[in-house]
Amino acid sequence: MMKKQAVIVGGGPAGLAAALRLKEKGIQDILILEREKVLGGILRQCIHDGFGLTRFGESLSGPEYAQRFIDKVLDAGIECITDCTVLDITPEKLVTAASREQGLLQIQADAVLLTMGCRERTRGALATPGTRPAGVYTAGVAQNYINLQNIMVGHEVVILGSGDIGLIMARRMTLEGAHVQGVYEVQPYPSGLPRNIEQCLNDYNIPLHLSHTVVDIRGRERLTSVVVAQCDERYRPIPGTEEEIPCDTLILSVGLIPENELSLAAGVELDARTRGAFVDEHCQTGVPGVFAAGNVLHVHDLVDFVSLEAEALANSAAEYLLKGSLPECRLEVKAGNNVGHVIPQRISGTRDFTLSLRVRQPLSNVSIVVRQGEKEVLRKKMRKALPAEMIQLPIKAEKLSDSADMEVYVE
Amino acid sequence: MQTYDIIIIGGGVVGSAIARELTRYQLSVAVLEKESDVCTQTSGRNTGMLHAGFLYKTGSLKALCCVEGNREFDQVARELDVPFKRTGKLIVGFTEEHRQRLLAMIERGRANGVPGMELIDRARMDEIDPSAGGNFAIHCPSSGILDPFIYTIALAENAVKNGAKYHLYTEVTGSEYLPDGRHVLHTNQGDFACRWVINSAGLHSAEISAMLGIPGYVIQPVKGEYFVLDKKAGAFARIPVYPAPTERNTFDTHATPTVDGNVLVGPNSFNVEDGEDYSVRQVGMDGLQESGARMFKHMKREYYIRTFAGARPKRIDPATGEIQDFLIERRDSVPGVINLVGIESPGLTSALPIARRVVGLLREKEELTPNPAFDPTRKGIIRFHEASREEQARLIAADPDYGEIVCRCETITRAEIKAAIHNPLGACTVNAIKVRTRASMGRCQGGYCETRITAMIREELGKAVTDVRLTNGNSAMFTGNVKGGEQA
Amino acid sequence: MKRTFTCIVCPNGCEIETGYEGSQVLSITGNLCPKGKTYVTQELVDPRRTIATSVRVTGGTLPLVSVRLTNAIPKDRIFDVMAEINRQTLAAPVKIGDVVIKNILGLDSDVIVTKNIEKA
Repeated sequence: MMKKQAVIVGGGPAGLAAALRLKEKGIQDILILEREKVLGGILRQCIHDGFGLTRFGESLSGPEYAQRFIDKVLDAGIECITDCTVLDITPEKLVTAASREQGLLQIQADAVLLTMGCRERTRGALATPGTRPAGVYTAGVAQNYINLQNIMVGHEVVILGSGDIGLIMARRMTLEGAHVQGVYEVQPYPSGLPRNIEQCLNDYNIPLHLSHTVVDIRGRERLTSVVVAQCDERYRPIPGTEEEIPCDTLILSVGLIPENELSLAAGVELDARTRGAFVDEHCQTGVPGVFAAGNVLHVHDLVDFVSLEAEALANSAAEYLLKGSLPECRLEVKAGNNVGHVIPQRISGTRDFTLSLRVRQPLSNVSIVVRQGEKEVLRKKMRKALPAEMIQLPIKAEKLSDSADMEVYVE
Repeated sequence: MQTYDIIIIGGGVVGSAIARELTRYQLSVAVLEKESDVCTQTSGRNTGMLHAGFLYKTGSLKALCCVEGNREFDQVARELDVPFKRTGKLIVGFTEEHRQRLLAMIERGRANGVPGMELIDRARMDEIDPSAGGNFAIHCPSSGILDPFIYTIALAENAVKNGAKYHLYTEVTGSEYLPDGRHVLHTNQGDFACRWVINSAGLHSAEISAMLGIPGYVIQPVKGEYFVLDKKAGAFARIPVYPAPTERNTFDTHATPTVDGNVLVGPNSFNVEDGEDYSVRQVGMDGLQESGARMFKHMKREYYIRTFAGARPKRIDPATGEIQDFLIERRDSVPGVINLVGIESPGLTSALPIARRVVGLLREKEELTPNPAFDPTRKGIIRFHEASREEQARLIAADPDYGEIVCRCETITRAEIKAAIHNPLGACTVNAIKVRTRASMGRCQGGYCETRITAMIREELGKAVTDVRLTNGNSAMFTGNVKGGEQA
Repeated sequence: MKRTFTCIVCPNGCEIETGYEGSQVLSITGNLCPKGKTYVTQELVDPRRTIATSVRVTGGTLPLVSVRLTNAIPKDRIFDVMAEINRQTLAAPVKIGDVVIKNILGLDSDVIVTKNIEKA
């Protein structure tokens, strides 16, 4: 059995950033396990630009953003095993993985960094009625075929859901000669970022139909049409508003789910709101020495924030490895009025940390209020706040009390 | 013209069982299947129950074949390497009326030869499965669950191993009976000749029967819709739990664990015109959500991973609409034909007993010479995730393809996918790989592995991008390349 | 005249209320930074976009390599530029920053490779 100080599960943006920071902090014995043949995670197929504005002050494509980290990881001599899938992690931090070249690996880690990213919500989870023909793809799967495999999935396209990948794929498929008939979103507001509505849909005259969903999928072999309908405020289709749209392709962009099956195996408790781990301000889960950051913790809108969060994780993990423990976090952080979720869910009240949250619905001219009992820790005015955007608030230790739970709400 | 002693129309579980049983003798046997694989219709669209046989009229073929098939299934599962668990079953009741129906059911079960059925109280139910609803229940220990895909595939593969030939994508469109005693079957793949035709065409069995010269039967397809729940929900389901039967002696929605650890909720039941319309309706799912929650406390949205539908080909009396027994016949007036009509539930349990009855009818007309080379066993694809860590290490050391996990949710390796792609039946759709390996049956529904599986199908079989199919017919996955020309 | 723009320069996606006359910006509110004003001014005169797509690669570990433009091009030339890019084929290996087409269609923008692809 191998022994490692830190095992990083997943060599995407979170894992790469965490590895580099651990190394900078003096941790020598690091191992990245990556299931793909190359590092970089989902960024490999995100060939559009817009990555790195915060990080590098320039607009890069996904592969370029990833390569900057990959080059540094390789330069730093950090050990990576690619083409290697982790099968199990125990609460005692024994990691089992399968690799073509190295066989079945068993690694005892002092710290495990969970950076597995997320998966896409599927038609099955939505329980969309209809047949099961070929031609129904999640946006990320279509992106993989089109951007990595040179395979075109279809020509007459309907997109269900206005998540960012769906919007990006509307533009991608249009550029490659497909006809995107429209994007249908069940909510009364888009779930993707405004700039993507503008540059991926409006630029190409692709209509966005809010409060609409797909109520039937037709075709026994290849998709032949979908039926869309308007929805009421409880997302139920309104009878009489159905419209059949002939098409050969339905792309689903209906949400991302943190991929936490290994976390559960390790005994990590999940938050039903984020579907990621409950973590403290050190990004440490309920299992000591097991940390999580990036999309496996909560779904981000920008990769720059994933890198930052993973670096914060690595700072804490390095401290854990060097000192043997981290300050206890006994104070709870609660999501109050109009706040969908908060990360972290526990704090010590003695250290700086970054609070991440999303609002539940689009709001304008509001304040995000962070409070501990009677004490207002922070108040941030926002002209607009959208569920599509993750809000990050740096919080200073000197503003904090070490004895009261925290509540975050919109006023 | 391709010529065989016997041609079976329809490669479902029954057709495949017949093919396998016929290869025990020195006969040339072919199966004509119109779809892309052997289990894309009724045989692959059901609950996967090994029924006990207490539901059917005493003395009926359904009762006889079911009890016989149930009794022998441990051995069958071993011979053919079919995932199977004899879980037992609970049929639960709430009211006095239910109690009376359950007692009548126990009586019928005894008369049919079903072993060990007893009425149990809530305390005993809690020992067996605390998540089952109801105040009392029948416990039927002989019921079980099996993988209906693998069972059908195993029968077909064993038939092929013993010399039978499968023709997929081959749809019978007409037939002729020649003066020399041969049948000629016209298909979309040319003509086939044989001495015996066996109609095992399921949903189309009445049409094929009429085509072969036995008109008058009526098949009523009865459709049922299902939810598939995540294995997380499966952790709460130890045993199939059925509600007390309705007045018509049928069952409403039930929750059944699958042999792989998922849960099926369903089916509902309604008559349809077109048995091959497998679309799922919103109203059907709404109903299953409500009735499913009564039977299974963990019927929650977060556990949904898929829906599906199937249809039972019920033979009905055209005059009264009453549902009839299985029909297995040979008529002297229609030589060279063995006719199976209305083989529906419990067809999965009854497949081999039905096949033996078909052999019996054949024997009335022909002396059958045993095939000395017949081997009743078949080995399935080695399942990496079911192996111990030591075995896994050995598997990878021997073949690095076991070290590459293609399907993350179900832990399916490249070696398994490769074996499935090169299956003995030559079924090569994405769905064929899925039912043989479980790849993409998990919670991400192919989000991770589908791109890999389609690439492997292209590489292993040298297929063009536009020739990769999802399942039946022309279910092309792709329309071509993004940039210029076919890639290497 | 009044028009609301969604700024696409950064993920903030500011909604910018603009009063204008011809290509002259008269009033502007809603932008969090000066880039918003530059964006709106450009949109009024000559809307420009960058695009990202792929180019066929032969003999590499992947059949395609991702590419992008170094500078924005006029929005109405996007499909002309796509057609030009679609004519290209590269041979592996290719490296990030390799120029596929210099000054495409004279639009003062290069098409560059955004992914390293090794020889297979």
